Amino acid sequence: MSVGSRRGDRSAPALALVLWAALLFSPTASAATNMITLGLALEPPNLDPTATSAEATQDVVYGNVYEGLTRITEQGRVAAGLAQSWTVSDDGLRYRFNLRRGVHFHDGTPLTAADVRWSLDRARAAGSTNPLRELLAPLQAIHIVDELTVELELERPVADLLTYLGWGNLVILSPATATRAATAPVGTGPYRFVEWRKGDAVVLELNPDYWGTPARLQRVTFRIVPDASSALAALLAGDVDGYSNFPAPEGVAALEHDGRFTVSIGSTEGETLLAINNARPPFNDLRVRQALAYAVDRRAIIQGAMYGYGQPIGSHFPPHDPAYVDLTARYPFDPAAARALLREAGYPNGFALTLRLPPPYYARRSGEIIAAQLAAIGIRVRIENIEWAQWLEQVFKNRDFDLTIISHTEPMDYDIYARPGYYFGYSSPTYAARLAALSRTRDESSRLRLLSELQRQLADDCVNVFLFELPKLGVWRHDLHGLWREAPIQGIPLAAAYLDGPAGHAAAATITRSSGGVFTALALVIFTLAALALRRHVSARHLLGRSITLAVTLLGASLLIFLLVNVLPGDPAAYMMGLNASQSAVANLRAEYGLDVPAWQQYLQWLAALAHGDLGLSYTYRVPVADLVAQRLTVSLPLALYALCLSIALALPAALVAARRPGRALDSLLMGIAQVGLAVPNFWLGLLLILAFSVHLHWFTAGGFPGWQDGIGPALRALTLPAVSLALPQACILARVLRAELGLALAEDYVRTARAKGLSSWQALCRHALPNAMIPALTIIGLQFSFLLAGAIIIETVFALPGLGRLLFQATAQRDLIVVRGVVLLLVAAVVLVNFLVELLYAVVDPRLRDTGAR
Amino acid sequence: MPPARLTVGLKIGTVLLSVYAALALSSLSSVYDAGLTIEVGSRLLAPSAAHWFGTDALGRDVLALVAVGTRTSLGVALAAVAAGLLCGVPLGLLAAARGGLADDALARAGDLVFAFPSLLLAVLLAAAAGPGAMTAVIAIGVFNVPVFARLVRGNALSLMQRDFVMAARVAGRSTAAIAFDHLLPNVATLIVVQATIQLSLAIVAEAGLSYVGLGVQPPDPSWGRMLNEAQTLASSAPWLALFPGLALALAVLALNLVGSAMATHLDPRSRAGSP
Repeated sequence: MSVGSRRGDRSAPALALVLWAALLFSPTASAATNMITLGLALEPPNLDPTATSAEATQDVVYGNVYEGLTRITEQGRVAAGLAQSWTVSDDGLRYRFNLRRGVHFHDGTPLTAADVRWSLDRARAAGSTNPLRELLAPLQAIHIVDELTVELELERPVADLLTYLGWGNLVILSPATATRAATAPVGTGPYRFVEWRKGDAVVLELNPDYWGTPARLQRVTFRIVPDASSALAALLAGDVDGYSNFPAPEGVAALEHDGRFTVSIGSTEGETLLAINNARPPFNDLRVRQALAYAVDRRAIIQGAMYGYGQPIGSHFPPHDPAYVDLTARYPFDPAAARALLREAGYPNGFALTLRLPPPYYARRSGEIIAAQLAAIGIRVRIENIEWAQWLEQVFKNRDFDLTIISHTEPMDYDIYARPGYYFGYSSPTYAARLAALSRTRDESSRLRLLSELQRQLADDCVNVFLFELPKLGVWRHDLHGLWREAPIQGIPLAAAYLDGPAGHAAAATITRSSGGVFTALALVIFTLAALALRRHVSARHLLGRSITLAVTLLGASLLIFLLVNVLPGDPAAYMMGLNASQSAVANLRAEYGLDVPAWQQYLQWLAALAHGDLGLSYTYRVPVADLVAQRLTVSLPLALYALCLSIALALPAALVAARRPGRALDSLLMGIAQVGLAVPNFWLGLLLILAFSVHLHWFTAGGFPGWQDGIGPALRALTLPAVSLALPQACILARVLRAELGLALAEDYVRTARAKGLSSWQALCRHALPNAMIPALTIIGLQFSFLLAGAIIIETVFALPGLGRLLFQATAQRDLIVVRGVVLLLVAAVVLVNFLVELLYAVVDPRLRDTGAR
Repeated sequence: MPPARLTVGLKIGTVLLSVYAALALSSLSSVYDAGLTIEVGSRLLAPSAAHWFGTDALGRDVLALVAVGTRTSLGVALAAVAAGLLCGVPLGLLAAARGGLADDALARAGDLVFAFPSLLLAVLLAAAAGPGAMTAVIAIGVFNVPVFARLVRGNALSLMQRDFVMAARVAGRSTAAIAFDHLLPNVATLIVVQATIQLSLAIVAEAGLSYVGLGVQPPDPSWGRMLNEAQTLASSAPWLALFPGLALALAVLALNLVGSAMATHLDPRSRAGSP
């Protein structure tokens, strides 16, 4: 009895040692300096900024991959770009640009005047999809003066030409590579394109041959994090290093007090609109549009959707511009006036409409509030959440919508109201005439007057309901510098961005070393050690029988996982690539991952690879899954062990104290607490702990993991609250089981004998009752390992820890089935293996079980 | 000893469960409609007489959300346990009545399901089939099948040796008839006790899934998702994290109390008063 249990104790440390050895084996995040990962809420539809008006495209390539003749500074001024200098004729009709010497495209070809002419001709050509095509209409001819000099000839002055040339839509491409610009951009910028993993990330790297001051970051990854609610966790967990525009305003206040991050709030050129289809009844009636404007409470939207960030606007113009006119009082919030207008327009009982919302958080959240506000005046709103591609197709291109919400982030984009066929369905000759006059006018005071007239007309005609100017909520790690506070144009230029000192960071680190074999080795070591430790206690037949069960269970689990992952979604390749993928891309992926052979063959191949410790190649990260897992294990494994230790450390004394005087007050109290504690879900407990210890007491950070490179102290500190949340409910279960078993053991004769021999109640309890109570407790501890692992995957989300659980959920969200498959199998294997070891331990603890193999 | 504590526990549990049932049923009517209306003017209000549980970021009444969430959470949990029960009990009876290969196959299949840490199967399903209430029901339900099957099998096996079953076999009754007419009534109480415990586990599982975004999808409110949404606002509006969690923990506590009271009542060892 007690003898056996002491032997069991001897193999337990051995097991712990092996598990800790796993930590040493697994590669840690290499101290990869000068790499950053920035979060993007939307994925670019393509990477050619001259062909699309999507902001996400500009975010990635503007100023990084591509450059224009001029560039726009953070203050919104025009500065020299690829053109070193320029001269303008007195009549404003001729612009001569002197190009820089020694500029090369990323493919090595030098930049010449011919490239400039070709790029601008391409942008203004008849079939061009360039959003600025109309603005280039006055451009009559482009002359090549010499190799590095180009002259633009206009038929009438264009006052803002130098600004336009600095925008992302008019960057200079090389004719040789322009056809592939949508997927593989080649420009002249400080960074060059590496790869675009659809649905996941766009990667850029330093251009060593840059003509200007070289960039200081080695590699920049723009990671697509579509879910606004996970943005904060992504930041805390170090999955991303920052957001140029953080999509969760509710989290900004907390980040401002977090020393790990810099919060930099500026403004964008984004006028956020409740856009109206002016061409479609009943919205072609001015009174209906005005009713909408009166019914919408901007302040409530800014509070409710933006948490107070963002300035209300009354027309299509940014408040930080000198020419801005405050027209927010033109249609104040007045539901009574709105209802009166509706009655007048012939809708006394309101009507029904559809509000189509694109994915950005401001649209989705404002939409919910606006729907409630319109309901107050009798308009029944049906909200339709659509994807970005659908929005571009249905709303923007086909003008099939009633209302939508979108931020127009292009600067100086009041010209869109004069564009024929634009999706607002608005057309006004007066507006067009005023706009044309503005384009001809270079006198500053006349320009201001014209600009104010334009703003007033849009407000009077109530083309759209103008909501607020989109703020730029910059949030990034404190040691990252050189990102823009303001966003005078679309784009996230990173030419001047840099990191302090040698900064190793999980998000930026990449692991190149393959560690797949580690797992196989680890499993073998555990197995051998267990076998050696048990050799004298367990018969070979028993061991063999158990091993066969183990193997069968593992095989069955692998089959089940395979069926769910490879067979259930139909075509996993198409599933992983999403709706917008082309047929050929899906076919390529299918071939790459061996998904083009029959399912049974895929399964066998997977098993064969598994035998080598090869879990496959992650679809999104493009690194071996085994490496990803090994890296994440350095968080998850210590967390589970920490929690297990805490759980035992809490439960054992509690059970002993309670069992010493059965039925007394202390017993009832402790077991009552355990009963209540049992009911507390660990993730809620985690939230409460964060509230108490991070928000109020500031003893711990609210989440995140600093890594082990700074020593064990900070890492364990970061794991303490998560471990406590995991351990407490488990400790309650363990305490109850132990208490019950101790109670039974205390009633046995041998304990009574021991007491009669003169042992104190403590001695009897600890020496005689406890070892016997440990047998069932061992089962619970074994089972708890499984619960701890499963619980840990949720707790990691609560505390934003970069462990296996987060990897699993991320992979699920990114539909990286390869990673999901590998992680699940590994977790299952861990559970099965632990159960196997626990069963072998029984045999050590309880000699009666050695040969029968019962239980 | 069925001590006073357990009887009190049973009372507390029963009262709490009645409250939840009332909440879930009342959410079917329109009493919470006013509370669910978006009213930005009254956003993030601390608990008060007008809003007992405070309001959320869109000015909705948290009590109303918790009440409607009760229906969602209990609905998914009940459906999952019912599914597990309806599949598991016949399987367990069959295994006990037939024995042999069917019994072995069932045991191995059970091992297989238990090899998956509880939520993992749900995550896997959500990854492959997309998240949603149905996925949650299936995933949690699958986990319940072997629980019931094993319980029924274990207890039915001992019944198989009893005289009344022997008599029925001698009388030539079919396996199915024996299983349902003789075995089932004798394990029914055990099933009810187990179902109570499973229900509490299912509620936690559903909340966990919803918390990580793989359970019930918006706009249906659920306790788990409310907790998720509360997290970023935890510093300014702690009541958002408090009340859905409390609702969750109390529901689990109530089921545990009722379950363990019933188990104690049924367990002859504890009824006899040992230890």
